[in-house]
Amino acid sequence: MFINYEHNNHVYHVIVERRDNQFFITYDNNEYTVTATELKPGQLVISLGERVIKSVISQGEDSKFVFIDGNVFKVKRIELTGRKKTGKKESDLNSPISGTVVKVKVKEGALVKKDDVLLVIEAMKMEYLIHSPYKGKIKKVYFKEKDQIEIGQLTAEIEKEED
Amino acid sequence: MFKKVLVANRGEIAVRIIKACQEMGVKTVAVYSEADRTSPHVEIADESINLGDPTPSESYLNIAKIIKNATSVKAEAIHPGYGFLAENPDFAKACADTGIKFIGPTPEVIRLMGDKIEAKKTIAHANVPVIPGYHGVKQDLATLLKEGKKIGFPLLVKATAGGGGKGMRIVHAESELEQSIESAKREAKSAFGNDSVFLEQYIDKPRHIEFQILADEHGHVIHLYERECSIQRRHQKIIEETPSPVLTPTLREAMGTAAVAAAKTVGYTNAGTIEFMVDAKHNFYFMEMNTRLQVEHPITEATTGIDLVKWQLRIASGMDLTLKQSDITQRGHALECRIYAEDPSNGFLPSIGTLEKVEIPIGPNIRNDTGVETHFHVSPYYDPMLAKLTVYSENREESINKMIWALSHYVVLGVTTNISFLKKVLDHPKFREGNITTHFINDHFKDWLVTKEGLPLDALLALAVYDSLHTQRQEVVRYKEADPHSPWQHVGRWRIGV
Repeated sequence: MFINYEHNNHVYHVIVERRDNQFFITYDNNEYTVTATELKPGQLVISLGERVIKSVISQGEDSKFVFIDGNVFKVKRIELTGRKKTGKKESDLNSPISGTVVKVKVKEGALVKKDDVLLVIEAMKMEYLIHSPYKGKIKKVYFKEKDQIEIGQLTAEIEKEED
Repeated sequence: MFKKVLVANRGEIAVRIIKACQEMGVKTVAVYSEADRTSPHVEIADESINLGDPTPSESYLNIAKIIKNATSVKAEAIHPGYGFLAENPDFAKACADTGIKFIGPTPEVIRLMGDKIEAKKTIAHANVPVIPGYHGVKQDLATLLKEGKKIGFPLLVKATAGGGGKGMRIVHAESELEQSIESAKREAKSAFGNDSVFLEQYIDKPRHIEFQILADEHGHVIHLYERECSIQRRHQKIIEETPSPVLTPTLREAMGTAAVAAAKTVGYTNAGTIEFMVDAKHNFYFMEMNTRLQVEHPITEATTGIDLVKWQLRIASGMDLTLKQSDITQRGHALECRIYAEDPSNGFLPSIGTLEKVEIPIGPNIRNDTGVETHFHVSPYYDPMLAKLTVYSENREESINKMIWALSHYVVLGVTTNISFLKKVLDHPKFREGNITTHFINDHFKDWLVTKEGLPLDALLALAVYDSLHTQRQEVVRYKEADPHSPWQHVGRWRIGV
């Protein structure tokens, strides 16, 4: 997972991968392997080698607050397009971002399962996947490969089928 | 003892007073404004009254409203706390006129001590040293020059109506006096519409040291030793301690005696504080008297073992102060920090918002006086002090270390607080030496920034773990940058918008 954090006009670019309670975090060319436990919501104990980091994090309206050793940092998670991500719901087939359609994985009339990838959209060198929110039959695909797509545009329609 | 007391205040001090009443079996009535509807002081009181509009003049400062409500719930006494109406003689008078006991001194004493110049004149009669100066009504240049030379140099010219350093001049030599008086007068005229000034000896490297007083209504007065409150920002205390690192037993004795004499001379009753200024040569001068409970009273309670609020209630109900001066001892060392919702790296501007999370430090000899909790909204209507943190230890060094530990475990998320700033002040070598003056913050922390070094690695790791645990699966699925050769791998930290 790629994340950009903004703090005092600085952007910090972090990659994190998780395997159970192990986390592989890359920042500024260094990789850190940590284990972490969330004692209660927002309260983390993180082990980095011999070192133990204790932190409390809370989610404010548009920022997160990170408490470390008596200091508090207000941090915003940002997308590099500079656009706000749309409130993407389970059933959302709209594009989360403006960019280029790089792959269309399904044809009209095809049967799809829940979570099947329908389209791949690229923006700012990142790929976003459009998943099928439910099992069904593809009724319409609005884009083909190399098409430009705008944030919020509907990518496809699916006729929902009951299990 | 009273059966029911109304607490005409909010926040931590209302909570502290209500708890003292409850321990003594006294019923309590809280008052609150619309902005404080869900505040802790409202929750813990036996009864509570909504005063409505959060504007102070319509709520906590509204004498008529408070008196009317006190009468309707049959409260026998009102505790004003500190701030708001605590030093308002009209309020004390209105209480007396309605047959409600005001928990504090008489309206006459409040009025007298509220006039800073009259207070100094009165206290000087009790042979308590006051800063040599001229506070006369004669404002012609000849008089001011003559009086200035009498006081000596350096000397301070200050606007009578002054504040915020306007109309204030430090004069180092006789040759500068005339010009300084004239320019101070011009500045005072344009800032306050009043060009009257007073002259005072200028105290270099001043320390603010005050003495706690208890006086019953039968003429018995004692002091409960000192509190050093030199660490101030914008003329407001942020760190207080007792005992003061600078007082010798002889000086302590002399100041304690002077404080008792000052209180006796004005016929003071209930709890009060005599504020002194102490110069680099350990001369002390009366500055003013605070005719109420002080914010920083917990450090005195820690080192003397005396509950000041309970004694306020007993004294107000007419009981004898049974403590003798010889009963009062100072033991160990106590420190208090005021936790403010403010930004020390931005001129200490108040920070408004919702407290997403509050977790207070708990441990041996750590006292939390707090009027807020998680989800509390810090509103622009009132003072942004959220809580007070008091620690007590065997000696000063251990107190400082305990306080730094406690602050490091004090979680307040959602608004900017002064917690990291307080830690830095306590850990400053000059503070640890006890080498402090009221100019300390200005001298050592003028352009302090909390985040000079940016976001630390530990915070980034914690964030990454948190987001990895809490991001919904469908939110952001996969990025092309899983490719290790992507330029994004190598950017690290960068800067936008500057």
